Amino acid sequence: MTTTRPLLGSPMTRLEGREKVTGTARYAVDYPVDRVAYAWPVPAAVARGEITAVDATAALADPAVLAVLSYENAPRLHDTDDRTLAVLQSPHIAHRGQFAALAVATSLEAARGAAAAIRVAYAPEPHDVILTRDHPGLYKPDEVDEGMPTDREHGDFDTVYARAQVRLDAVYETPPLHNHPLEPHAATAMWDGDDLTVYDSNQGATAVQHVLAELFGLATGKIHVINEHVGGGFGSKGTARPHVVLAAMAARVVRRPVKLALPRNQLAAVTGHRSPTIQRIRIGADTEGHVQALAHEVTTQISALDGFVEPAAVVSRVMYAAPNSRTTHRVTRLDVPTPSWMRAPGECPGMFALESAMDELAIACGVDPIELRVRNEPTVEPDSGLPFSSRHLVECLREGTRRFGWHDRDPRIAGKHEGRLLIGSGVAASTYPVYVMASHAEAHAGPDGSYEVHVSASDIGTGARTVLTQIAADALGVPLDRVRVRVGSSDLPPASVAGASSGTASWGWPVHKACTELRQRLEALGHSVPEQGLTVAADIAEDLDDREDYARHAFGAQFAEVQVDTVTGETRVRRLLGVFAAGRILNPRTARSQFIGGMTMGLGMALLEGSTMDPAFGDYAERDLASYHVPACADVPEIDVHWIEEEDPQLNPMGSKGIGEIGIVGTAAAIANAVHHATGVRIRALPIHPAVLMPPLAGARQASPS
Amino acid sequence: MDFLRPASWEEALAAKAEHPTAVPIAGGTDVMVEINFDHRRPDVLLDLNRIGELQEWEVGEETVRLGASVPYTRIIERLRGELPGLALAGHTVGSPQIRNRGSVGGNLGAASPAGDSHPALLAAGAEVEAVSVRGTRMIPVEEFYTGVKRNCLEADELIRAVHIKKADGPQQFSKVGTRNAMVIAVCAFGLALHPETRTVKTGIGSAAPTPIRARAAEEFLNAALEEAGLWDNGRIIPPSVARQFAELVSGAANPIDDVRGSAAYRRHALGVMARRTLGWTWDEYRGNERSARCA
Amino acid sequence: MAQSTSSVITLNVNGEKRTLPVDHRTTLLDALRERLDLTGTKKGCDQGQCGACTVLIDGRRAVSCLQLAVAAEGREITTIEGLADGDQLHPVQQAFLDLDGFQCGYCTPGQICSALAVIEEHAAGWPSAATTDVRPEAGVPPLTADEIRERMSGNLCRCGAYVSIVQAVARAAGVETAQAAPALPQQGRTEEGTAA
Repeated sequence: MTTTRPLLGSPMTRLEGREKVTGTARYAVDYPVDRVAYAWPVPAAVARGEITAVDATAALADPAVLAVLSYENAPRLHDTDDRTLAVLQSPHIAHRGQFAALAVATSLEAARGAAAAIRVAYAPEPHDVILTRDHPGLYKPDEVDEGMPTDREHGDFDTVYARAQVRLDAVYETPPLHNHPLEPHAATAMWDGDDLTVYDSNQGATAVQHVLAELFGLATGKIHVINEHVGGGFGSKGTARPHVVLAAMAARVVRRPVKLALPRNQLAAVTGHRSPTIQRIRIGADTEGHVQALAHEVTTQISALDGFVEPAAVVSRVMYAAPNSRTTHRVTRLDVPTPSWMRAPGECPGMFALESAMDELAIACGVDPIELRVRNEPTVEPDSGLPFSSRHLVECLREGTRRFGWHDRDPRIAGKHEGRLLIGSGVAASTYPVYVMASHAEAHAGPDGSYEVHVSASDIGTGARTVLTQIAADALGVPLDRVRVRVGSSDLPPASVAGASSGTASWGWPVHKACTELRQRLEALGHSVPEQGLTVAADIAEDLDDREDYARHAFGAQFAEVQVDTVTGETRVRRLLGVFAAGRILNPRTARSQFIGGMTMGLGMALLEGSTMDPAFGDYAERDLASYHVPACADVPEIDVHWIEEEDPQLNPMGSKGIGEIGIVGTAAAIANAVHHATGVRIRALPIHPAVLMPPLAGARQASPS
Repeated sequence: MDFLRPASWEEALAAKAEHPTAVPIAGGTDVMVEINFDHRRPDVLLDLNRIGELQEWEVGEETVRLGASVPYTRIIERLRGELPGLALAGHTVGSPQIRNRGSVGGNLGAASPAGDSHPALLAAGAEVEAVSVRGTRMIPVEEFYTGVKRNCLEADELIRAVHIKKADGPQQFSKVGTRNAMVIAVCAFGLALHPETRTVKTGIGSAAPTPIRARAAEEFLNAALEEAGLWDNGRIIPPSVARQFAELVSGAANPIDDVRGSAAYRRHALGVMARRTLGWTWDEYRGNERSARCA
Repeated sequence: MAQSTSSVITLNVNGEKRTLPVDHRTTLLDALRERLDLTGTKKGCDQGQCGACTVLIDGRRAVSCLQLAVAAEGREITTIEGLADGDQLHPVQQAFLDLDGFQCGYCTPGQICSALAVIEEHAAGWPSAATTDVRPEAGVPPLTADEIRERMSGNLCRCGAYVSIVQAVARAAGVETAQAAPALPQQGRTEEGTAA
């Protein structure tokens, strides 16, 4: 048996594609379930305080209403690290929108009606919800993200910066951003004795299984989490979210299966988001643009319930050779919704700041922005001193230069008009670390020549199911149609979350390992499969420990051309180009979609997206898709994506780097840099709304003689 | 929630008289949003979908009598010659799916200052045909809006139709939003030239508690056009006049700061839109005049 | 008229008549999903702002979340489940599959129903906001990439599959070359006419 072309690297169409285009793919609340009840949460109506009374009389008057739960009567949960999951356990309200009660009824309509009829009384307390650079509560956290140092210092930044020939000192801001996957967070929960089965919309069935086991005080084997199809997550489904706990709790109370799909307008407060950041960047350079001193100081927030500290300065430990550097994070605790992961946490906002600053430096030094980046290319990872396993940023910039037509660009600012439109182009670099997390897989050979591979992976739209099948078939040396890969259930061998662009590596590695060993065992048996089949299990924990020390990152270059309407201030992106170096691309079709998808979200970040904290009410003003503007089809131009094939033996058996997040890193900076090139106006606080761009644009027009 | 489905207009009026709190619903694109999120919990819904005449229109000598439930897509498809400003506004309502169901009657019923049809109705000139078992009254659209999401309908009245002046000259509609499509207006502006009466009319959306006309701007422009004989000589409008017109339009607004845009930006954008739509419509008027003379 | 809160209705879905009692508050979307097990139609926002629940009602696309089930009686409803002919995918479905016009797939049924309507609306000569000449006598505008983008803008996709969606619609409409046409700024209009 031979295959005509290598399976790895072939543009296989998505295995579940047919189900998705015919509407038969089932998501968390799509499964038909007998005697199902529906739950509808009641969000807290104060930004901080205590619930003093819950009056469910009116709600319970409807015979269709099965229960009203609140801290007064909800079953007690065991503790977990994540305090956002302690739902209905205390009268204390940590932020507006936190769940105060839950209605459960035999119909969706009755549940919604009951939720509206529940009267919750509060004793409000003063709240503090606005982040400032000099907020009195700012402190130095022990670490940012898991295990990343909060601060790093190399050389003598202060002295070298003070003496530098060229100095840049600027503050960049990114607003709170919301993931808003098209499928709102949802779960169907069913108890059978002490066994809990949940169909849940999440990015990691194993992780949710473990948390539910903890909360309900059960063995993990009692919990079955199924996430066969997931309608996007972008980080907001990376860990268990409160909805699944509520669904399981409600199902236990009413002794019926319960469906809970969060209404869109509740998502902003309870499913996580990207924190706002205020980032001060100082660069000292010589007149040729060689960076001698770099400081990247980040101010951000978490909630009263903790949350994720956006590690935005970490990129400055990776990107450019700066002999004297300082990277710091300061955080304050506010009475706000709890921040979490959103696509490329840290890198995405961090690179908006750093790559905007590099553009400003290029202009200050009179150096082409691409050349400036090339001049500051490090030989080893600046912070760790480790060699890069592979780094082809310069090649990406060069390839992009050619494909974008960068050489035809007139470097003069505001030099290109088309009628009332100003046209400009900009560039920015991208980067994202290579993560891999311990996971397990099993490969099974059947006597009929078929193969089954099991791994509790999550295909949230990345194409994981497809690429894992390619990896398995390639390792087994059999055609694709002989292999069935099962993912999307915690009953499968435990595996890591679909996050940190680590899925393909973390799941593909044990799949590859199990399949390789199975192939060898079958060869040893002379290809005769025992009647009961043959199963091989693999675990990569040791392989991970055995890896050599390298700095492992993907890199890329993003190019944008924009037009700015000088009379309305409206910015439109005309074209985007991304060139990436991300190891071996295992499926060009799904990879292209991932890169383009990230860049599209980056376009949204640049021009459209942002949540506004209402200081009086303590919640985000944008709670629906009419006010939180994710890009619509008409906002997105042709997006061109290319990649440079990298051979990197220090990664994993497939030679791949993660690609799910790098697409959003740098896009906003490329667009903001293009807006500056077009207009001469530097926007350092996103998004670039007409109302923000118009006043300086009008000022610039009056100042110019034209 | 009771659901009434009158089979005829008379039945609908009777039902509304009997249930004054009943909320009329046709395409549902305004009412359902409120119901789905419990912003509104009517005891009775009055479904007007079975009343065929609400989906019809009549093109008369002077006006189009547009049934209250005629969806925007029908207006765009069939009435863009007679009602060009409204058709242009219709293009920007919600999404294509919403435009298939949403109607001017719904927009008037909701009376949101951000409703896209209002500026076009104000600029064209329109009257709302409000009917009850007590009779029919014609309400000039300027007087129809009474506050944020409030209109002057009595509890027993239903909107039967809108009588909109047929275009006797060029009309334009312009809207600024922060997304390229599916966007609630940051602000919107409608302008119609009326060569027969030698007047210009305007409509402003999303920049005051209700949709409004920029009357001072209209009066100024009417006088300026008359004085310079521009309706006859077809010359271009002097830049100073256009500028002054734009400033008066900006000044007519009473906008607020909100997440969609600042008050200052709204005023600025209104001025821009006023100047632009005036330019476009006047160019078209001059073109038409020239070709009429050549013919 | 006596107060009642539910009715028995007959819905005509994908050519099949289904009779069921419904609460008057039940939307068509919830009736399809929760009562008829037609879960291909998705709920993304329940407010008409995302397009995930797009179906065809009497041949025209509409968001089923803003349509009460009780008011849909007597109308012909087509959902994503009604498009394929047995194993034979509808050409729009096939184009989405071939060109990877989706990732998570949650918006896909709505996108596909919308795309069907786009192709028909365009063929019927309906202009869009991207149509530069909307005069009735101007005829059918070419289905350029910009036209497709505008016409598909009632369906949000958070995965960012728009580039491939536009290509898929172009292919299904038989105008595949349109996607190669770069997005041009609006032509045919000077900045503010000659008045300013």
